Amino acid sequence: MSQTTPAEQASNETPVLRLAAISKTFGKVAAVKGVSLEIGRNEVVGLIGENGAGKSTLLKILTGIYQPDAGTIEANGQTVKFRRPQDSVDAGIGVVHQEQSLLTNLSVAENIAMGSAAGHGEGTKFGFYRWGRLNREATKVLSRVGGNIDPRATVGDLSFVDRQMVEIARALRAGEATHTMPLLILDEPTSVLERGETETLEREIRALKEFGSVIFVSHRLEEVLRICDRILVMRDGELVADRMTEEVTEDELFLLMIGHESEAPQRASAVGLETGTPVLDIRNLSARGAYRDVSLTVYPGQCVAIVGTRGSGRGEVCRAVFGAATYDEGQILVQGRDIRHWTMRQAVRHGVAYVPAERKVEGLVAGMAGAENLTLAHPGPSAVGPFLRPRARKRMATDWFERLDVRPRDPKMRLERFSGGNQQKVVMGKWLASEDLQLLVLDHPLRGLDAGASETVNAQVQDACSRNVGVLLIADTIEEAFDMAHVIVVMRDGEVTARYDLSVESTTSLDLLEGMV
Amino acid sequence: MSADTLSTDFQESDTGTGEDDTQGTGSKRRFSARDVWQSFGPVVVCLAIIGLVIVLNRAFFGGGGPGILALQATFILLVSLGQSCVLNVGSIDLSNAALAVVAAMILAQTLGSLGPMALVLSIGLATLFGLINGLLIAYAQVPSFALTLGTLGILQASALVISNASTVYVKGGAVLLDPLFGSFIARLPLAFWIAIVLAVVLWAFLRFTRPGEAMKAVGLSETGAIFSGIGNRRVKILAFGLSGFFAGVTGVVIIAQGGAASTFGLGSDLLLPGIAAAIVGGTAITGGTTNPLLVIFGALTVAMIPIASAALGVPTTAQSLVYGLVIIVAVALTIRRSGNDVIK
Repeated sequence: MSQTTPAEQASNETPVLRLAAISKTFGKVAAVKGVSLEIGRNEVVGLIGENGAGKSTLLKILTGIYQPDAGTIEANGQTVKFRRPQDSVDAGIGVVHQEQSLLTNLSVAENIAMGSAAGHGEGTKFGFYRWGRLNREATKVLSRVGGNIDPRATVGDLSFVDRQMVEIARALRAGEATHTMPLLILDEPTSVLERGETETLEREIRALKEFGSVIFVSHRLEEVLRICDRILVMRDGELVADRMTEEVTEDELFLLMIGHESEAPQRASAVGLETGTPVLDIRNLSARGAYRDVSLTVYPGQCVAIVGTRGSGRGEVCRAVFGAATYDEGQILVQGRDIRHWTMRQAVRHGVAYVPAERKVEGLVAGMAGAENLTLAHPGPSAVGPFLRPRARKRMATDWFERLDVRPRDPKMRLERFSGGNQQKVVMGKWLASEDLQLLVLDHPLRGLDAGASETVNAQVQDACSRNVGVLLIADTIEEAFDMAHVIVVMRDGEVTARYDLSVESTTSLDLLEGMV
Repeated sequence: MSADTLSTDFQESDTGTGEDDTQGTGSKRRFSARDVWQSFGPVVVCLAIIGLVIVLNRAFFGGGGPGILALQATFILLVSLGQSCVLNVGSIDLSNAALAVVAAMILAQTLGSLGPMALVLSIGLATLFGLINGLLIAYAQVPSFALTLGTLGILQASALVISNASTVYVKGGAVLLDPLFGSFIARLPLAFWIAIVLAVVLWAFLRFTRPGEAMKAVGLSETGAIFSGIGNRRVKILAFGLSGFFAGVTGVVIIAQGGAASTFGLGSDLLLPGIAAAIVGGTAITGGTTNPLLVIFGALTVAMIPIASAALGVPTTAQSLVYGLVIIVAVALTIRRSGNDVIK
């Protein structure tokens, strides 16, 4: 860990925020390990790191959602304990989350007022809104972030970038209500924006420096380099670097993020896979605001991984393949058949399977037993025509629970009561149990899984490939893609930037990152 | 395993539904009060209310009491079986009682000329009407509450038009329906036993067939069901079709019992008791949980309410008040409260 904190030299005042040896462990997983850092006054600090590096956990500690297991937090020189989100707001910390959290049916002014306790002071009297004052205050704070948005406009009618400005204004106001020097945390505010739109936002973030300090989290390195004064790099829960922006290059940051450069294992077996009809053929697919001109193919027995950051459009492509999202132009062919008008039901009937990232909402039916979930899509021997065969189902479930090492081995227990990893095994089993499985679409299949469960899921994917099933994978990390895929497609901002066939090219993580960020 | 659970939570912060995971990693099964209620509650409540009536009015079960009770329960049970199907997929049908009256009127007018075919016709039309309800809910995406409130109005108006705002009497052929309340098994009318048989058939359908299970899946988590390839629309249409079918059968029973149908007569006040019986019978108003066998006890309980409240001295004019209270208490007992503050 780097011991030099340039902020110390840069500022002779008390830092707005100082963390000392902050740690947070979830069960056996250490998410944040002894992180110490300082954020100076009027400073814009970038925080970068791969998925799972501990950024999110650290931010949740700073916003009072998690309590650290060890270490201390100082805000403006005073030791504080954030037991709940309001404590963090009281300490002058405002947050803009990845997903926008504005109430779209209310006006801009109302949204801004709602974020702060002060909204109940100045803008209201006896619980009634004083519209004139509310709107004036909103205009004031909006002009500070450089926007000329009408405070009376309904948030739902605003463009994405304008909404993001309102979010920032709200966070700024919340922080300012309690402190003269607020700290704004911007958690990937640009990931949902188009390239052009981010410039406006970047201008604003730099403007914010006049009023306070900013922690800027982003996947886009060039952006971080443009906006920030100083950059913090996290890897595996540790703070591995703390550099002034002018002292560091993009390539150095890559290396710091991923640690050592890893190389994809060569896949001899993959050669000769690309014969016959592709099980999935995506041709020039476009969806407004999500992705443009995406083409890729998956052959039987082949695993194709799409890597890219949040906002790269890869998730939307996968959903389109399953019929869960619409697209504007282009074609998707599953075994040569155009799926334009397929519903998800038809996709399932044609042997397409989808393991969603939102497991608890989309992946399973909470309230149904493990066995029922397992046989829901393709009952196989557990039903004859419309009639269920409880005994055959019990045998089938017992068999699959054994094969997937689902713990506990209790197919009658409701699926939502299993742990995340075991839920995921059953969700996988639901699709693998089908004899007619053709294409398996996996959206973050290993998210939140421990090593054992990951291994099981991984083995099942390999097994599916050997059964001649095509696999389209969105991996959490590059290592995961290296482990599982034959071909890696890189996406950035909705476009395919590179394609690597691991059986013929030696590919390194640096190659991939360059296409991603 | 707990590490796994938590790490899921900290990475999937945005799903917002992580609460269930904290219930434990599944090393032991837990039975909540809700689970117990949904297995035994309806039976216990039914026995308790019967016990109460016996204590207050010993004569009741000696004389014609059971027959009267069975008669009342038949109507309520038939309507509530349909309601249970709809509640099971997470919707509600406010039009089913009105549909039963309209079906009864159609039957009354056609029984003389068509004979047994009139039964097929009236039940068939009611089923068709239910299917159309379902079709509009599934494809026009009108919330079931709003849609069936609308069709309730339409049906009541049609009933007034068909009947000329008076009573429609059966013109001949009523003999055909006489056995329903004319013949008895174990001192209870045949119609009651037919309703029981239908409940058992429905139970088997929900428990042992794929469409039945699909209904449960849609009721529990429509999104999860869709992503498993279940046709949520056809499942809802099916549920409303079943509700229509049971309304049609109720119409037959109305004619068999009264020989006539009118907008304000027998069967017109079945909506509230029908919902009450389904819920007292353990059907979750949030969808995904129902058991027609327990709904039988729910129907018996609700049918006992007028008798019990009479025995307790509650005036008959206040009976709707008792139904209302029973629905509120039963929903409060059965509702899922696991960390969900969003109430609609």
